[in-house]
Amino acid sequence: MNVKEKEIEYVKNGKRVDGRKIDELRPIKIDVGVIDRADGSCYLEWGQNKIMAAVYGPREALPKHIQNPYRALVNYHYRMATFSVPDRKSPKPGRREMEISKVSGEALEKAIFLEKYPNTTIDVFVEILDSNAGTRVAGLAAASVALADAGIPMKDIVAAVGVGKIAGEVVLDLNKTEEDAPDAVDIPIAILPRTEEIVLLQMDGLLKLDEWKKALKMGIEGCKKVYELQKTALRKAYLEAEKEEKVKENAK
Amino acid sequence: MSKKVVIPGDLISEERKKIGSHVFVEDGKIYSDSLGLANTDSPIASVVPLHGKYMPQIQDVIVGIVTQETFGGYIIAINSFYSSFVSKEFIRERLQKGAIVSGKIMSVNEINEAEVGHVHVLFGGEIIRTSPVKVPRMIGKNASMLEVLKKGTGANLMIGRNGWIWAKGGDIKLVVAAIRKIEKEAHLSDLTNKMEAFLKENKK
Repeated sequence: MNVKEKEIEYVKNGKRVDGRKIDELRPIKIDVGVIDRADGSCYLEWGQNKIMAAVYGPREALPKHIQNPYRALVNYHYRMATFSVPDRKSPKPGRREMEISKVSGEALEKAIFLEKYPNTTIDVFVEILDSNAGTRVAGLAAASVALADAGIPMKDIVAAVGVGKIAGEVVLDLNKTEEDAPDAVDIPIAILPRTEEIVLLQMDGLLKLDEWKKALKMGIEGCKKVYELQKTALRKAYLEAEKEEKVKENAK
Repeated sequence: MSKKVVIPGDLISEERKKIGSHVFVEDGKIYSDSLGLANTDSPIASVVPLHGKYMPQIQDVIVGIVTQETFGGYIIAINSFYSSFVSKEFIRERLQKGAIVSGKIMSVNEINEAEVGHVHVLFGGEIIRTSPVKVPRMIGKNASMLEVLKKGTGANLMIGRNGWIWAKGGDIKLVVAAIRKIEKEAHLSDLTNKMEAFLKENKK
């Protein structure tokens, strides 16, 4: 583009372009059990991101030569819908999608008790319906909720969030405008919140050591906020039924 | 008795307790490994899961479908990771492909392949699919729920531990409605009496 873009003030008086504070997440909405035919499913809205995650299995891994008699395989499919970005995205899985599928699948493997299901595969399908930066962490958060909904034994739920640096400030959960800033640094982080074990960590850009330490701390705190939302979403259906029960009992 | 909804990674107990199902120990503390209900007062730390697949266990009574006849036996689908093979040596009657059978799990190996015995054909009827973790609620204490279902709908029922229910005769639509209702309210108490009222209300 030859036209010089108007310079955006990314952080002004502690507020960002969309009015959020430096360590504030975008609004998150999680619905559990939205797909009947899947063993477990989750629909997640994270700001403008819209994500559908479905889990099938554990089921017999086929063809037979991929089976592992000691543990289950995790088959993670991260795919972006053709209409999820401003220009049409080719439906062919690209280099980026394959990489995200690999790292996210490996992050989930750390949480699942794979040895309980030998010779099987756990298929996780994550479809990005609308994207606005931070879809890999949103997808991972949705996928781990769907896994819990499928009743697959896990050590902990994987919580994930993006952190980064824009205009010299370390900020939590970048959106697309911020991610496109000229000096932006983007760090997706996923942890097991109970032990704070890091299961996914990527970075693109450069940071100073003290900035990095601040970013990591902010990321872990952000993950814990996401974790609370995931927990309430999973419990919600059952708590509501119990509440109704109590109301009925009181009426009697 | 206090029950609470737990999710994977939730603390069940910090004390030393007997280890039941769907829990794991880390640093001497007991945590849940799935979404389910935990009984906090019980001396055994265990979680009753709310979702999950069927894992064959010895002595389980199951309902299966014959999917194939081979030279020496039959292959029976049992809603598990693998189908089960039954030799013709142990079956008196000749089975048709697609026949519904009842059976018992005789043995399970380390990769969860099951061996089925005591195979009997269930003539006619149909299979209703449900989640295997809800099956104990469908049967109830001393088969109380099963009795209520049979009496309320007039159907002949056979509930397999694998989540397949064989139903014949009576009001099948009502059976399906009742099963879906139990699935939805499986974690609530006093379900048997509620189902009795529900069946009475909807009986033709």
